[in-house]
Amino acid sequence: MRTVQFPPEQLAEVRRLQALYPDRRGALLPVLHMAQDAFGWVSLEVEEYVAGLFDLSPAHVHEVVTFYTLYFRQPKGRHVVSVCHNLSCHLAGAKTVLDQLRTRLGIEVGETTPDGRVTLLAVECLCACERAPMMQVDDRYELDLTPEKVDRILEGLR
Amino acid sequence: MPKLTIDGKEIEVPAGTNLIEAARQAGVEIPHYCYHPGLSIAGQCRLCMVDIEKTPRPTIACNAQAADGMVVWTETDRVKETRRSVMEFHLINHPLDCPVCDQAGECWLQIYYMRHGLYEPRMTDEKVHKPKAVPLGPHVMLDAERCILCSRCVRFCDEITRTGELGIMNRGDHSEIGLFPGRELANRYSANVVDICPVGALTDRDFRFQVRVWYLDSTKSICPGCARGCNIEVHTNRRRPHHAEGRRVARLKPRYNADVNRWWICDAGRYGYGAVDDKSRLRAPSRREGEAVADATWEEALAAVAGTLGRLEPDEVGVIASPRMANEDLFALRRVLERRGIRRVGFRVPPREPGDEDAFLIRADKSPNALGAALLGLDGDVAAVLAAARARQVKCLWIFDHDLLAAGWDEAEVDRALRAAETVIFTGANANATSERAHWVLPAAAWVEREGTWTNCEGRVQRFRQALEPLGQALPTSDILGRVLAALGVAAVPPRAERWFRDLAAAVPAFAGLSYPSIGDAGQPAARGAA
Amino acid sequence: MTGERILMRNFDRPDSHSLAVYRETGGYTAWEKAQGMEPAAITEEVKASNLRGLGGAGFPTGTKWSFIPKGHTGPVYLVINADEGEPGTFKDRYLLERDPHALIEGMLIAARAIRSATGFVYVRGEYVEPWRRFGAAVREAYEAGYLGQGFDVVVHRGAGAYICGEETGLISSLEGKKGWPKVKPPFPAVRGAFGMPTIVNNVETISHVPHIVNRGGAWFASLGTRTQGGTRMFSVSGRVARPGVYEASVAITLRQLIYDLAGGVTGNGRLKGVVPGGSSAPILRADEIDVPMDVDGLRNAGTMAGSAGVVVMDETVSIPEALMVVARFYAHESCGQCTPCRESTGWIYRMVHRIVEGHGRKEDLDTILDVARRGAGTTICAFYDGAVGPYISYIEKFRDEFEELIDGAGTRAVATPAPAAG
Repeated sequence: MRTVQFPPEQLAEVRRLQALYPDRRGALLPVLHMAQDAFGWVSLEVEEYVAGLFDLSPAHVHEVVTFYTLYFRQPKGRHVVSVCHNLSCHLAGAKTVLDQLRTRLGIEVGETTPDGRVTLLAVECLCACERAPMMQVDDRYELDLTPEKVDRILEGLR
Repeated sequence: MPKLTIDGKEIEVPAGTNLIEAARQAGVEIPHYCYHPGLSIAGQCRLCMVDIEKTPRPTIACNAQAADGMVVWTETDRVKETRRSVMEFHLINHPLDCPVCDQAGECWLQIYYMRHGLYEPRMTDEKVHKPKAVPLGPHVMLDAERCILCSRCVRFCDEITRTGELGIMNRGDHSEIGLFPGRELANRYSANVVDICPVGALTDRDFRFQVRVWYLDSTKSICPGCARGCNIEVHTNRRRPHHAEGRRVARLKPRYNADVNRWWICDAGRYGYGAVDDKSRLRAPSRREGEAVADATWEEALAAVAGTLGRLEPDEVGVIASPRMANEDLFALRRVLERRGIRRVGFRVPPREPGDEDAFLIRADKSPNALGAALLGLDGDVAAVLAAARARQVKCLWIFDHDLLAAGWDEAEVDRALRAAETVIFTGANANATSERAHWVLPAAAWVEREGTWTNCEGRVQRFRQALEPLGQALPTSDILGRVLAALGVAAVPPRAERWFRDLAAAVPAFAGLSYPSIGDAGQPAARGAA
Repeated sequence: MTGERILMRNFDRPDSHSLAVYRETGGYTAWEKAQGMEPAAITEEVKASNLRGLGGAGFPTGTKWSFIPKGHTGPVYLVINADEGEPGTFKDRYLLERDPHALIEGMLIAARAIRSATGFVYVRGEYVEPWRRFGAAVREAYEAGYLGQGFDVVVHRGAGAYICGEETGLISSLEGKKGWPKVKPPFPAVRGAFGMPTIVNNVETISHVPHIVNRGGAWFASLGTRTQGGTRMFSVSGRVARPGVYEASVAITLRQLIYDLAGGVTGNGRLKGVVPGGSSAPILRADEIDVPMDVDGLRNAGTMAGSAGVVVMDETVSIPEALMVVARFYAHESCGQCTPCRESTGWIYRMVHRIVEGHGRKEDLDTILDVARRGAGTTICAFYDGAVGPYISYIEKFRDEFEELIDGAGTRAVATPAPAAG
């Protein structure tokens, strides 16, 4: 069973980030991103660990983790596919993109494929409306989606 | 000091006063939820809107500071419409739990809806559902659907207890009050969140489903749980004895006192009323001969006690008073001692477990009137009294309230002292191992069953008042002692506590100038240097 | 029509984001000039330019800078709002990716004007590549000695919440809390981030500042209307032939923007409605597009310039469906802090959803309108007013489409067709 703990270099990075802010609490969101990258997702154990790094009550870290959408509170797939379904993407056919992904992946929005490969999400405006319909795959934006392009992108996700 | 006009009335308030407090001074109560004078400003509920001249839109009063020349209107049509709108917003997802909710009758959604709402409800869609009946800790129950998210409880745990257990999780209409999963709301003041919760989201587990609040009477009193003397209200159920298994005291609530406890009380004090209606209550005088215990009349008991005191030499009597006794009781005892020249008297009995204290309200001394007893000159050496009893120098032990066998002394030693004494007299409200050894038991009224005063750790003399009739034949201790005095040949003193206090104030320099009217509801400092 | 491109002038150069290319095109000369100016003089120049906030509120920038209390001796913070999130808007993404040094230079000058030694750039969490690109530019600026000589920049990544685009919501998030906007007063210029005077400005707004310093406030003012100076970047999307970002004078009309710059209307080619300033701006009908796109022009037309996110809808678009999508957005993004917004954004979305699904009731439309009107102006921040914009305007201006669904004409309103391939 792995204990949740940053290795020394990452701990040093935490302290460096904390020092950038007049109140070190300002580094909480960046450090939670770090923790998600290091531990895969933000479990309650991770929340308690991070709370300790900031001398905050775990309840207040939990508030932050549940408020923002980018912190995963359950294990996520190796890849996260977030399809924008806001106004311009809706006009450009976001529903069709989502239907295609649901069919190809065999899961509903919000779920992860059984093999742990992909988590499928529907999200609000990613601000790439001029290249709608679009989605975010991990860190990058995939724009001007067509059915063929969507299939190609899926194939490239291992 | 800014001068401003509220609803046409001109007032002057200290700089920095918000408009809710300023309006109160003008006799105007602005409806609000999230504002609390003991907590930071949240500005979330949006109910306290008022119209301020020269501002285009209604403004929240809690976050508006009184300014010179400000003109405020709290009952314009626009303000009334805004309140009605805000009430509707609050009730959109609120569950119709009134029939099963403890808050009914003291619920601020109910109260403000009747005052400021009264609209035709039009929300017919499915309401948002959240967890219900979730125990947060030993004392507090959460119903997240009922919560109006005013954040008072969160701010209390952050700002007053500084324990930070509560937060508002998620966002939008899925926002929810909650703990960190797996943790508890177990700080020592946890139930204060029940008081400040305007609705039935946070309720008292002890009070849950016991009795409807409109059957309760309220009496001003003082918590006897420690030397802090937090001001309280005693809520009693006298009209529905079939509820709550006949428990007469339904609950205690803190009462505001700017100089003692402000709005708060610790959990131990809040729930410390169990002894009042406990089976162990002493209801009649009794006499023990050998193993046989039988009820006696007050006449018999008082005659026996006076007889013993009169028969013995003064130094053959040892009196162990209690720091739970009222100032009036202690002064009456002093009169009895003076009458017979008895000098062996004390009140300090060490507890088996040392009391804990904190940096807020809780004091290590778990009695309400140790300072009063000391100021009244009764601070002798109790251990010496017991030693004298063991040595058969003391032949009569008169014990008030204590269970000496459960105290911080060697039990066997105490036992020997009790056995050695020819006569043991016990006066108290509840039976205990010591009272069972007494030859004469005089039942005393519990603190809620009579009035009196206690002197808290800071020397503040505070009144507690009578909420209930004494059980059975129990009498206030000052009354018992007055009757003993009468039996000893001193002119009878009227049994009213206030009379005793007047005599006390005249006789004891520390209490000079104090009276029941001057003590009032907020208490009054004694002159401690003059003890 | 567009006139001179100022902000977008380098966008098509290879490596436009690099310090080398930025310097080639005159970058950091304004900073050099500003260093010889008194802070108050810089602010005066910005005031004279009539530059107005380009993130959404349209507040005069120079005036905002002058709200810092005189005589304050502690820290002052400059915070850049790169939490672009208004649906229909994408201009800041371009600026961060293609010309990050413009923002850095603008920050240096603004910081001098407001006497700030620390700037925070709050980048929305989803903008990972722009965040990396901008971070690299910051490192270049440090290495070149522009930063770290009395002004430091902290690049801060958000975590997914539209409300962090509201300036005090952003401040709360920067402080490591939920993005809950703060009760005002006090205003950020008096008491903002970490309790200190703070100026929050949008990416695009600050990117204009070097040009204002180099060429003068009067020049900038002359490019626009009487009450708003300069150009701005219009994000155009939806049913147009050439969706994209277009820089033009704020005096340009909506008709010119759609037809002359963005290639006209697609779908069935006939315009039904346009959202002119991001989803929070009340919708305009096809007969209302002869309106200048500056702050006062659009306000006088009953809508707002907002973030200049222009979303074009042709006649095949179902307005009730569009409202459902927008209402779902506001319900999802409501921070939950204050009661009117928290409770009614969810309820109104449920009602609109019910109408679109064919289960609407006669009273629903008037209920939505009444609830929205009652909530407007009662909340801690303008988020709810942004929701009210579409709630009221879509229903008032296209009521018949909603009523058709409610009367259960058997068929749904003309559904939004799937996109054409390619």
